[in-house]
Order: sequence, then structure tokens, then C-alpha cells
Amino acid sequence: MIEELRKKAEELLKNGTVKVVFGYGEGSVPERTRPVFITKPEDVNKLTWNKYCVYNLTTYLKRQETRKLGKPALILKGCDARTIIVLLKECQIKREDVYIIGVTCDGVGDPLAEKCKACDVHTPLIYDDLVGEKRENKEVPFEERYAELDEYEKLEEKDKWEFWQKQFEKCIKCYACSNICPLCFCDRCIVEKNQPQWIDPSAHPRGNLSWNVTRAYHLAGRCINCEECQRVCPVDIPLNLLNKKLAKEAEKSFDYRPGYNIDDELAMSTYKEDDDEDFFK
Amino acid sequence: MEKTLNKNNFDSFITGLKKQGYKTIAPKKDNKLVTLDEIQDANEISLDHVITNNSIKEYFLPKTEKILSYTIEKNKVEMKEPEGFAVKSVIFGSRPCDAFSLPVMDKVFNWDCVDKFWVERREAVTIVTISCDKFDSYCFCTSVGLAPDAKQGSDVLLTKISNDEYLVETVTEKGENLVKELESVFSDPPSGTPDRQVATVEKKFDIGKIKPWLDDNFEHDVWDEFSHKCIGCGACTFVCPTCHCFDIVDECSMTKGDRVKNWDGCQFKMFTMHTSGHNPRNTQGMRWRQRIMHKFKYYVEKFDSTLCVGCGRCSRVCPADMNISEMLEIIETEAGK
Repeated sequence: MIEELRKKAEELLKNGTVKVVFGYGEGSVPERTRPVFITKPEDVNKLTWNKYCVYNLTTYLKRQETRKLGKPALILKGCDARTIIVLLKECQIKREDVYIIGVTCDGVGDPLAEKCKACDVHTPLIYDDLVGEKRENKEVPFEERYAELDEYEKLEEKDKWEFWQKQFEKCIKCYACSNICPLCFCDRCIVEKNQPQWIDPSAHPRGNLSWNVTRAYHLAGRCINCEECQRVCPVDIPLNLLNKKLAKEAEKSFDYRPGYNIDDELAMSTYKEDDDEDFFK
Repeated sequence: MEKTLNKNNFDSFITGLKKQGYKTIAPKKDNKLVTLDEIQDANEISLDHVITNNSIKEYFLPKTEKILSYTIEKNKVEMKEPEGFAVKSVIFGSRPCDAFSLPVMDKVFNWDCVDKFWVERREAVTIVTISCDKFDSYCFCTSVGLAPDAKQGSDVLLTKISNDEYLVETVTEKGENLVKELESVFSDPPSGTPDRQVATVEKKFDIGKIKPWLDDNFEHDVWDEFSHKCIGCGACTFVCPTCHCFDIVDECSMTKGDRVKNWDGCQFKMFTMHTSGHNPRNTQGMRWRQRIMHKFKYYVEKFDSTLCVGCGRCSRVCPADMNISEMLEIIETEAGK
């Protein structure tokens, strides 16, 4: 599969389809990989593929430094490719501006990432080329997809509050969660605005609560569950629990899952006069 | 002064500290992390980690702290300075690299403006370090002139000499006083040369080659090339024991407020953003260069000290696997060209 990826990347760079390939390279330690940006056909040997390819490389579509490299081909797993569908729907990219090398995937992370346990996108839903043997995407029942929430949802309200207070207390406001998120693409985040100061920048209980809750709410009905925010959090806050809870509520309310179907209306930014949701009127 | 401390006596040591009125901070396991945190009991201490996830910095420069409170009335402004921020404490079981970060940063916090929050806390806190008997591939203390059993910055240094025993060496007067205060928990120094169990951390680069190259290479392709993967968060600077930039904000209403000091970091786009909208460091490459330059050139020029202790935390937490010692190895190679 690695050879196939390298060949594809080489071909795309040689024939000028793309200027750069966003892929995975060897990391600084054997149990890590790192994002690499291949601009020359002779460098394709830097590409690799293994269970440590956890990154969602679509996050580099929002960064000016990597945008400047020219039209990219992205190596995307099924989960990551869902981001593309959201970005297209939210008018952040045009389909012709990205080339997608989809990879079929049996799961990443060591131990296996939580998201992989209920994966229904082993084969990406959108791609230009597919590397790896095509796999059937079996539907996973609703309950199973949100099984991670079972323990949490059993808690009493006051215990939930206590749980999050304890978790948010750890937050150091490094913003790794939002910087890594491919869907946190605002050029100026609300936390950077100070007239008025919507969110206290201080990492005290009030500031941490308002930041973490705001971040999660901005992703409700949009988050594709790549779990990158949780992976990168240096103080180990279970951010995905928040994301997942909101995804579950969004799915229950709107029967909508982001990143599955390009023809679906967005859950949070679609308005219709004849909307049949009562609370809307 | 030399003594020994048996692991079985940790309990009486911690109890003794409590009796003497010290708050005790020590490495403590918390799910996936080991953090320097307040403990009540010796059982809470974790000893089998390489290094704590958080650095010692937050006990001297907290992630957020109130430096002033004020009220505004019609013809009167009243200001009140905080009190009681410096608490008599012992940090037990920090690593030599962390301890060394303190004298390194003393230089800047006692420079043109004496930062009383830092200085008073430094006076109130006694550092009891444990030498490293293991390391991981991110550690590079020996490359920046330190060692896994370096004494600088510690008041007392403990080094494992058998499974249960630590050699106790006092480094400062403060450390000597602490050992005297709790004399009964320590035993006499070992006769003969003890078997010091200290990790062997190999050098990764020659620090002597770094600054001369930086002097000549403010403009170089390597800055952009290396930092394409950087996502521009502040994780590296916040876990760093020597990164000390902060921001000051007012949290206020029309009539009262608090002036607050918060950690800030040079990797954020907003760090250098001017009101006009102009940003003198407008690419991640420039911001990455700043981090390296500050640590290995500017601070050396100003304070004759490298602003990096080789703890490797920045590389461990980096979401995109940016690795600082790898960068320095690249610089060493470039310097040899």
C-alpha cells in the first residue's frame, strides 16, 4: 500500500495535477508519524502508511503556509474525507481545488482509537483515487456509535457538572484543540476578539468553561469525530466526549450526520421559511 | 551535607513537612498523566515516570494570576495588590532539568523590573529534586550542558543508590535547613562510594555550533520547511519550563476589575499582531524561528544562558511531531556545511 501511495503521489506531481501532496511521513519516534508535504516527485519515498497515521490532514487546508504550496493532493482516511464534505458544504474549499487520494483503513492508533471501534467509513465516501482494497462500509447502529457516552450519560446532572469542572480546571488555554481542528477555520476566533471580550482569555474556571463549551458548541452538527482535539490535548481533557454528546443530540434533533452526503442540508446553517421545527418560529 | 533517605521514610518525610507547615507538591498519577500536584500523603507520589507532564514553572509563574484588583468610583480609584500568593512549600521529586529552569529564569525576572510574584515565590519554595534514573528519546539535557543528576536550581538533590535508598545531597543553605528540620527521617551517609543510579543520556548535538549559525541565518529556508506541519498552537510554549511570556488583561466591569497575568506564547499568530492589522511575524516559519532564536541566541546574548533545559516536553506534546532537538541537529548539520 505504501508503494501504491508513493506511485500515485509521484504521478500526480510529475504530470502537474497537483503541486504538493499532504501525507504521512515517519515520525521522530517509531510510534509516531508526522504530516509531510511533498512537492518534488523524488521525495515521495518520505511517504508512509501505518497504524500511527492518526492525523486528519485536511486541517492544513486552512493554514496559509500550506495553502501557499499550491493545489494539494491529500491522503485521506474515510473519517478525514468526511471533513472534505463539510468544508465543501460550508464553502471553504472548491472541489476542483483539492485532489483526494482516499485510503481504505482498518483503524489507526495504538491502542485502537475510539472512533475506529464504530467506523462505518473504512472506504472514504469521497475521493479521486482510491488506494487499498475497497471495503464495504457497513452501517453501525445508533446506540453502538454513541456507546462511548453510556457511562457519562448515567451520571446525575450535578456529577456531570463536577466532572467537567474537574476536567476544565486542567485546561491551559494552549488552543491545540482548535488549531488542530480542520473545522475551526475562522480567521479570527471568537476567543481572540476583545471588543467586547466574549470569552475570558484567562485559564481560570470561568474562562476555561466558556472556552471549552463555546468550542464544542461551534462544532455541534459539524464535528466529524476525527478525535484530533482529544488526541492533541496536552492535559488530557476528554474533549471528544463533549463533541460526541453534541453530535448525538444533533443527530437526534435533525436526523443529520455531517460529512456523509454532499446533498444533505447543513444542520446548523440552513434556514427555510417552511421549517417544520416548532422551536424555530 | 550528605545523608540517605529510605523509601520507607517518605511517609514520615511528607508528614514531617506538613508538621513544619509546608505545602507539599510532588509527582502524582492522574489517569494518563503524571503531574506535579499538591499531595497530602506519601502514597500519592509517583516515582516510575520519566518526567512529569507539567513543568515546575506553574508554581512560580501560574497559568493565570491576579496581579491587581481595582474599584472605580466617581472621583476615586482604589487599587489593591494581592497577598498571600507565596506559600511556604516543598516541591518534592521534580527533575534536575526542571530545577535548573529556575535559576535560568531568575535572570529575566530580576532584570530591569523585579517581578515580585516570581521572587517571593522563589523564596518561599524549597526544591527537592530526584536525579533521573531513566530517560526517553525526547530527553536531551546533556546536549544543553546539563546532566540527569545536575544540582543547579535544586536545594536538595536525591539520587537513587539502591532499590529503596536515596543519597541526599544538600545544595543550598535552604536545603540544608530543610534537612536539619526533619533530621530524624534521614540516615547517615553511606560509607564508601555509593552506586549512584543515574541515566546515561547521550548528546544529540553540539550546543557550541548552534549560536554561531543562528547569528548568520536569520533568513534561511529551513525555518519555513521545518514548520509547515506546525499548527500554531501554544502547547510547546506552555509545557516548557523556560518559556515565560505572558499577557496582561483586565477582567472588569464599569466599576471594578482585576488585572490578570496569563501565559502567552510566540507560536500564536495573535502574539505579535498589531492593532493596525500588520503582523511582523506573519508566517509560522517566522514564529518558529523566534522560538529557536530566543532560546539559543537572544537569551544567551542577554543573560549568558541557554533558555532550554532539554526536558523534551515540547516535542512530546507537539500535535504535529515538531521536534526541537531534531531542529537543533539540523542546525548543527547546516553549520558543518
